[in-house]
Amino acid sequence: MRVRFPGLYIALGLVLAGLIHIVAVLTLPLLAPRNAHARLAALGPANTMIELPPATPGRQVIPMMAPDVRYAFCRFDLANGPVRLNARVADELWLIALYTPEGENFYSVAGADMKRAEIDLVISTADQTVEEAGVDAPESSDDVIVVNSPVTEGIALIRAPLAGPSRADRAQRALGATSCGPYTKSS
Amino acid sequence: MDTNRLTPALPNSPLALAPTQSTAWREEEATHSMRSLAYFVGTFVVALMLGIGSAWYMIERGSPLTTTKVGPWDGWVSEGNPSADPYTRAHVARSGRLPLTSTVARYFVARTDSAGHSLTSECEYLIQGFPLNARWWSLALYDEYGGLVANSSQRYSFNSEEMLRHADGTFRVDLSRNARPENWLPTGATDQHLLLLLRIYDPRETDASGVGLIPDDRLPKIERKACE
Repeated sequence: MRVRFPGLYIALGLVLAGLIHIVAVLTLPLLAPRNAHARLAALGPANTMIELPPATPGRQVIPMMAPDVRYAFCRFDLANGPVRLNARVADELWLIALYTPEGENFYSVAGADMKRAEIDLVISTADQTVEEAGVDAPESSDDVIVVNSPVTEGIALIRAPLAGPSRADRAQRALGATSCGPYTKSS
Repeated sequence: MDTNRLTPALPNSPLALAPTQSTAWREEEATHSMRSLAYFVGTFVVALMLGIGSAWYMIERGSPLTTTKVGPWDGWVSEGNPSADPYTRAHVARSGRLPLTSTVARYFVARTDSAGHSLTSECEYLIQGFPLNARWWSLALYDEYGGLVANSSQRYSFNSEEMLRHADGTFRVDLSRNARPENWLPTGATDQHLLLLLRIYDPRETDASGVGLIPDDRLPKIERKACE
């Protein structure tokens, strides 16, 4: 018996290829062990603000970092309650962005859009309320921005774009003055 | 009744087939099943290559579904967006980058010049830029793997604050090994492929879905001048 229907094999091949394609697209993100969260976890503990070393040839923590942006990040972990990020925003170019471990940017705020020089961000999961964590009176709450995080573990990243190469030191000092840690009543 | 029907299909059954018939039949059956098997394996291998290859390409380099291509520039429309499609999500997760969502920033990558030739440190290029309506932007040079290009003047990028611009807001950048006046991005001593990344923070125009809008004619033109 001859193979009378090569078309059958072609159709079968295409259907198979389609299925393999779909499976590959959905599993490739899971097979990326060097995602941003894994890279940053190597630099220090969670719930601490850490400055990223500026990108230089042959050394950068995250691929294609901007050479003219200074970065600081906090790998937040909400398992034990909300996390507070405090920053005195040094200039209007600053950008504060929150990410899932896979790199989805679920929240961001620009320095230019903030009404005040100091920003207090409280990151919490949907079932944690900031009251539970011990925030006191509502009158103080308009200084605090509460962000609901879709993930228990994620990344807060502050970008300080440089107005020029001579500004790098100043930007790094300002990033060094930012903080990240568990949100408690005393803070 | 089932037994009767099945009998001819059992080649080893002494009852069903005469010996002469049997030999011919078995040979034909053997070549047929061998060929079928080969066809199946071949089909599967081709399907595997097609499926994984197309997935890899659409994730690494993009496709009309996920990216806009303007001249040499590729931009992922939903990069960093939590509601992005699976291709964009896979692209971001695999890259290890932390891009700002496309409503806050746009990123455009060029691996070729405007004529479609790969960017390489063996050639010199003239980049002609146009005013970009955004709070801050930066044009940076990388090797093909996303690492900065080593050079003695430690110049890796020009941003909106430091770029020397003409009165009409246009600018030009020379991409070359040796120093050039105005804006010079050194391509380094190593022979390698290069890529340019234009990051635009806070574009002031947006499309209907809020994604930062950069008009096509505002993306820089990359012209190859000379090669070694």
